[in-house]
Amino acid sequence: MKQVIVHPERCVGCMQCMLACATAHSKTGNLFSAILENPLPRPRIHVGAGIYYEGFPNRCRHCDPAPCQMACLPGAIYRQTETNTVLINPDVCINCASCAMACPYGVIRYHKDPLAPAGKAVAVKCDNCIARQHKGRVPACVEVCKTGALTFEESDRAMKRKTDMVARSVTAEATPVEHAEGFALLRTVKKAVTEINLAR
Amino acid sequence: MKYVIIGNGVAGVTAAETIRRFDESGDISIISDETFLPYCRPMISNLLEGSVPEEKLSIRSKDFYDKNRISPVLGVRASSIDTGSRVVVTEDGKKHPYDRLLLACGADPKGLDAKGSELENIFFMRNIAHVKKMISALPQIKNALVLGGGLVGFKAAYSLLKRGVSVTMLIRSGYPLSMQVDETAGRMIQTVLQDHGLTVRTGVSAEAFEGNGRVQKAVLSDGDRIDCDMAVIGKGVFPAHGFVPRDSINTDAGILVDRHMKTSSDCVYAAGDVAESFDLSRQRRWVNAIWPEAVSQGRVAGMNMAGHPISYRGSLSRNVIRIFDTDVMSAGRVSKREVDDSCRTAEAFDPGRKTYRKLVFDGDILVGFVMVNRVEQGGVLTSLVQSRMPVDIPEQYLLDPNFNVSRLMRR
Repeated sequence: MKQVIVHPERCVGCMQCMLACATAHSKTGNLFSAILENPLPRPRIHVGAGIYYEGFPNRCRHCDPAPCQMACLPGAIYRQTETNTVLINPDVCINCASCAMACPYGVIRYHKDPLAPAGKAVAVKCDNCIARQHKGRVPACVEVCKTGALTFEESDRAMKRKTDMVARSVTAEATPVEHAEGFALLRTVKKAVTEINLAR
Repeated sequence: MKYVIIGNGVAGVTAAETIRRFDESGDISIISDETFLPYCRPMISNLLEGSVPEEKLSIRSKDFYDKNRISPVLGVRASSIDTGSRVVVTEDGKKHPYDRLLLACGADPKGLDAKGSELENIFFMRNIAHVKKMISALPQIKNALVLGGGLVGFKAAYSLLKRGVSVTMLIRSGYPLSMQVDETAGRMIQTVLQDHGLTVRTGVSAEAFEGNGRVQKAVLSDGDRIDCDMAVIGKGVFPAHGFVPRDSINTDAGILVDRHMKTSSDCVYAAGDVAESFDLSRQRRWVNAIWPEAVSQGRVAGMNMAGHPISYRGSLSRNVIRIFDTDVMSAGRVSKREVDDSCRTAEAFDPGRKTYRKLVFDGDILVGFVMVNRVEQGGVLTSLVQSRMPVDIPEQYLLDPNFNVSRLMRR
């Protein structure tokens, strides 16, 4: 089963995934009409900043067992086993925020949503774009990511690649492999700016 | 294998389902005095408020017992346990032999030591039956009196306000939710409620009720007499382990359990509001009678009973409350009585954004917090308290409402 895998070391914080996610979860599915919708579609992936302002795409891990599911009072949170996705039924959700207290990653938001009953604020989070997957498309955040920080693949394959990378890095002749030109420079600049600001 | 579970709250129900997953052939029976399908107890205030209909309180479908091949023994309380011959006796005299027993019998509301508290329209608010009685009395109610500023009193007051009833809350301590939050957050909550019509009187309690069959007036400890045609007792709960044999099952405030949720008696387990487990923020035994811990404990107890030893990491008190347009979340040690000089605190208050955060540290370990509004990241802090991971980043990051989980990551 393919799943979205996050490679934080490749994130530059451009937030295109947020835009694509909000569009994918709008009524019209098109950016230019989505911005005119009411309620305004909102992203379910959240790019945050680390201590050195490095980007980090924070999205639901679809934990098993899922703490949000165990904390949900009305039983609105359930797992769809075919795609290993934790989902929230907006009809059942009472917007009590018990899941906010349970989620160790802070990925659940509370607002009116184009895909929820009209006028009702509910808990909203990543649904692995199951509607898109059903049509054979990859999740919107992955499709739009330009740096490879989000990939959609078998976790075995991703882990194998990571293991190989670690194995290569432990030999005496190892030199760090750049993901692409400029990543190291970007990180160094961000870190330096933060440290200068802190020192002031 | 015969499994007997006392209590069909969420701890008992979760345990039963967990057992069934690992043991397809064992006999499971659930004894409970409540005859409703398993329902969500914290949501009874939503029922009182009128925001959720009764049928939506069920947490399992009608065929729950059949589907899981559970024999329900409902409408009767367990009256005694013989741990030697492994038998539970119910009030009707029937005997229920067990190989594994789970005590998930929950808690009962504390009574009120006041004259006239047997009058009509004086209610506890602990189960569906209580709330249904309150709702049927509502049409004649103009003034309600809520005794206690804890979670139950607070939820009762909020729901009744939403129903258009004029509510007076009596709090013995200085502000609402003094067990759950600190003074600043407590005062913020009080202001919100007062802005929506609640009358709060602090430092007083009710000494007597007067009325002709039905309650009409309350006499307060300061001598004042006030009109009330309904009173709700929210003086807290106590674990319902009165029928448990003390000589074989150790109890303190609750029934003492080890990390496998096992009591001091072989083959007897406890979970949920009745259990006293190790508290992660306080580092000592504590009864944390909250929904998510009842689910976790039920799951751990069920697995252990079915022969799969797993450990429970320990419990943590926590609550989230949404009133009108204000959200409040708290966890661990944060109330005035639990934060002493050995703790380090950090706080940030932003009147513009109406946000408030306070973190309580023991050394570099986060042991408690309270936050008002922008609570989305609260789970990250909760998991920091639970994991006891040393916090080695500047605390200003954790106080920032835009805090992101990646700030905790080292790269």
